[in-house]
Amino acid sequence: MLKVYGLFLVSGLAVGSLYALAGIGLVILRRSTGFLNFAYGAMAAAAAMVAWQVAEWGAWQPVSWLAALLTGIALSVLYGRLLAPALAWREPAVKAVATLGYMLILLGLMGLLWDDSLRKLSLPTDKIAVTLLGVRVTVTRIIALAVAMAAVVIMILYLDRSRMGLNMRSLADNRDHAALIGIPIVKVETLAWGISGALAGGTGLLFGSLVRLEPTVITFMVIPATAAAIVGRLTSLPMTLVGGLVIGVVEAMLTLYKPLAPLRAMTPFVIAGLMILWMQRSTTLTFATKE
Amino acid sequence: MKLQFTLATGAAALCLSLMSNSAAAEDAKPHCGLNTGQAATGAPIKVGGINGNAPPGDFSGGTDAAAAYFDCVNANGGIHGRPIEYIVENDQWNPELAGQVATKLVKDEEVVALVGNGSVVEMAVNASLYAAEDVMVMASGCAISECYESSHIVSTNQGPLPSGIGALKFAIEELGSTNAACIGFNIPNNGGWACDWMNEYMASKGLQGTSILMDPTAVDLNSVYLQALAEGVDTILLMLPAGPAIGLLKVAEEQGGREMFKWVSPTPLYEPGVGEVLGDYWSEHLYVNIELNQFDSAGPDNQNWVKVMDAFGKDGDRRDTFSQSGYISAKFFVDALLELDADSIDRPTVTKTIQDIVGVKSDLLCDPYYVGIADRHMPNHSGRMVVFKDGGFELVRDCYDIDTNYLEPILAQEAALGLN
Repeated sequence: MLKVYGLFLVSGLAVGSLYALAGIGLVILRRSTGFLNFAYGAMAAAAAMVAWQVAEWGAWQPVSWLAALLTGIALSVLYGRLLAPALAWREPAVKAVATLGYMLILLGLMGLLWDDSLRKLSLPTDKIAVTLLGVRVTVTRIIALAVAMAAVVIMILYLDRSRMGLNMRSLADNRDHAALIGIPIVKVETLAWGISGALAGGTGLLFGSLVRLEPTVITFMVIPATAAAIVGRLTSLPMTLVGGLVIGVVEAMLTLYKPLAPLRAMTPFVIAGLMILWMQRSTTLTFATKE
Repeated sequence: MKLQFTLATGAAALCLSLMSNSAAAEDAKPHCGLNTGQAATGAPIKVGGINGNAPPGDFSGGTDAAAAYFDCVNANGGIHGRPIEYIVENDQWNPELAGQVATKLVKDEEVVALVGNGSVVEMAVNASLYAAEDVMVMASGCAISECYESSHIVSTNQGPLPSGIGALKFAIEELGSTNAACIGFNIPNNGGWACDWMNEYMASKGLQGTSILMDPTAVDLNSVYLQALAEGVDTILLMLPAGPAIGLLKVAEEQGGREMFKWVSPTPLYEPGVGEVLGDYWSEHLYVNIELNQFDSAGPDNQNWVKVMDAFGKDGDRRDTFSQSGYISAKFFVDALLELDADSIDRPTVTKTIQDIVGVKSDLLCDPYYVGIADRHMPNHSGRMVVFKDGGFELVRDCYDIDTNYLEPILAQEAALGLN
């Protein structure tokens, strides 16, 4: 029985690392711009589809990976520069709902550009695997976990040690005051949108390879990612990492309990709901304004 | 004399060559309806069609093929001179929209019938409307129970239940399966419905079956695979659309699962792009039940489907099972309408004519097609089995029927119509 639990633990960690990676991208953006970006999954999906398209045109594989990252950055910065400034002083809920519109636009565009044909996005690391607790884990899955952990460490160091990180933290604390003391808001926010977009591109690439290359499925990956971010109270990167991994593991473990197995998809909602209830105990009101 | 002989021989050769070219050109032309070669110019006959084409799936193959066939019919005399005006709507997988577009077609446009419908949503929403308005739907892309258990909907495709059980029957008889897992979507009238009947089928054979149902957007396919492993089954039936089925096969490939189970699937995996996506790993290890005929079959209807799509299809039209199914639905519809006097065509006469269809045959289907008056319709329940091999598919069992209790009322209906 222990071996069976081990199987599902490793399997859950592999998927959870993808949720965590996406959640980290959401938290980075939220911390510096105040936007909870529901279009994150759609950006990831578009990045994965572009990578597939570039590879389909016969380009060298690393070029297609670069195209994915650039697509993520471009779509994110496009929103960050064109639409986000108009909403900068609106309530967090309004900002979040506006990104839902962007998500629908991207989803529609992808439907227009790519029909429903079967596609496959393969990475060279898909073929290399190690066995952990009886489960073969491909190097791509290990990369997903490693990138998620590295993103947490690098971003913590960047936010704590660099000048730009300090600016981002200032913006997160109080946008008005940051503007008054001369912090280049547009520059800082553009960078935050860019970093978040790059993470979306990378996540899309890994997701397209590990799960399946379907724009809708990748787009709605934002749901467990948001749940992971909520576990991190939309501010803590390490807790977001933990949240993503926990959601992945709980979702996998529920497979073993037959009555709940068909309902595994509700795991992110339940965990996020419990976390929100827990947070209401204190004064931290995630979706409220400072006022 | 020699010159005259040479000229005569040359002329004869030219004539033969022209005749042969003309015959080849004639061969390449599709055969549609009256096949007069003259465009129909009379008063149009309004016919509707509803597909579901939006994420997460494109079910437009049936209406695309029906549209191509109707265009071909209109270019070849129409229905005794009257062209078919085919109005296609997309329900976008949205129940509210599905109801709106059906009401528009049935009540506002007053279509005489609907042909080529393919959706996971609209049949459940609109079955009662079609019955109340006494309008027949000759569908081609059904995947839910309501589509087969309604008085005014009849489809040329089998759907997941017969096709899945057909795949299992093959697995039991040819691969020695004794314990199977049906992996399907957690949708009561789709995966739940089909997998429940799969379990009943296994039990009726004294064997074991279990359902593993998952959310349509499930990401963690690895756990679904591991659940099958934990259940100790020897066979996996992929009761899924092609995309998630491919995802699950990829996970199984990662885990080296090819040899651990017998892998069978209903029709969705029989799709033109599958070979490229699956690669060599699954060669000779994946068996698929097909609801209609092979895409490269030499049968006259299959060949005509190809010609119709070549001549009248649009660039983006799919050439899949739904497309074959849409073509044959449209052909049966046109053949039925041609029995009517052009001036007498209205909804009541068309409904009656469709309900009178009994025992028409096509090489695309294993059994004769029929409609009749009944509270359920499933004329197509015999299929073929193919194996995925070297990037393509090879026939391993020709037409065979399934034996499930679900078919009891259907078989009784067929007996009453003198079909078995």
